[in-house]
Amino acid sequence: MKSRKAPLLMLLLLLFTTPCTATEPLPTGVMRINGRVAPALKLNNIDGEAYDLSTTGGHWRFVHFWASWCGPCRREMPSIQRMIPMLTDSDLEFVIVNTAETEDEVFSFLGIVAPDLVPLMDSDGLVTQVWEPRGLPSTFLVDPSGRIQYLALGGREWDQPSYVAFLRSLK
Amino acid sequence: MHTQTCAKYYAANNNFMRNPRQPRLTARFLIPLLFGMQTVVPCYAIEKPYPGPYFENAQLLMILIPHTPEQMAAFYEARGFPKNAIELITETCFITVHIENKGRQVTWLDTANWRLISNNRALAILGTDYWNRKWEEIDLPQANRSTFYWTQLPAVVDLQPDEPVGGNIVLPGTVRDFHLEANFMTGRDQRGEKIQVNFERVACPRQADSQ
Repeated sequence: MKSRKAPLLMLLLLLFTTPCTATEPLPTGVMRINGRVAPALKLNNIDGEAYDLSTTGGHWRFVHFWASWCGPCRREMPSIQRMIPMLTDSDLEFVIVNTAETEDEVFSFLGIVAPDLVPLMDSDGLVTQVWEPRGLPSTFLVDPSGRIQYLALGGREWDQPSYVAFLRSLK
Repeated sequence: MHTQTCAKYYAANNNFMRNPRQPRLTARFLIPLLFGMQTVVPCYAIEKPYPGPYFENAQLLMILIPHTPEQMAAFYEARGFPKNAIELITETCFITVHIENKGRQVTWLDTANWRLISNNRALAILGTDYWNRKWEEIDLPQANRSTFYWTQLPAVVDLQPDEPVGGNIVLPGTVRDFHLEANFMTGRDQRGEKIQVNFERVACPRQADSQ
């Protein structure tokens, strides 16, 4: 009897310990990947405040790499600004990382198109290289245990309903 | 119209700049990808009229956008590159390349399968190793190296269906025009149909050419 219950218990254990991820079809351009551990991400934001991804576990993180010279990044950023207020009721933290630009370059761009965003400054680009995005812009979705579960390639309108619903479903 | 710089042009018209050193989804990603991914349709795809010579069929779109040294200098100067780096950049020929996998299977960009010929002699792309040596010689700041790196076409990418890739290839500045034969393997194991694309007499424009 004991041995017959064991598989069931194991199944229940798996069900309740596996991070809950989206079950709906993925929106365009979002790929499910195999949960590699997110690399270190310790940077100061443009206001000089320190941030460490490893200390912010327990919820999903939207980690986005961009540069102001990258046209798709420029076109995408306003949609991120619009999306964030739409997800205040979600369990998502937004981590916006600028790749290898100066504060002046970032401020002069974001001040116009997304003034509410406070990006982290990867001033020498080395953190971005460690994360190994396939290109700029790139967005990683990191689960509460610190593993990358989804990757979004290229630019998109993040405030479209399909993306907002998908991000809201991450719990 | 070629009034914009290479990377500015590319950046303004394409989905995203590619990481040259992280070329492929490794095998550990492929199985989950097969089950989990939807098509990777570029939301900001490049649109006609294409800004340079192109090839397009049901499987592949490939566009070449040559740029003058002055265009490239303007772009990198605006990114804070020092004068000695600009001099190295303007000694060469920059071609922005845009590729989209329009087929339903993986298509492999691998520049090792490309043949470039000028004046009946084979040409080599000035790749990451070349530039890293140059940047070491002039002690280019890391931030500039990173920006330059993100503007280059990667050497190898396993393009998923509908996935675009873009960036610059750089040739020696002595090249005035060249022939490019670009071969693309298809299929996850690269054993599918080969796609061959030929571009004849692609120019490396000088400033006067664009005026």
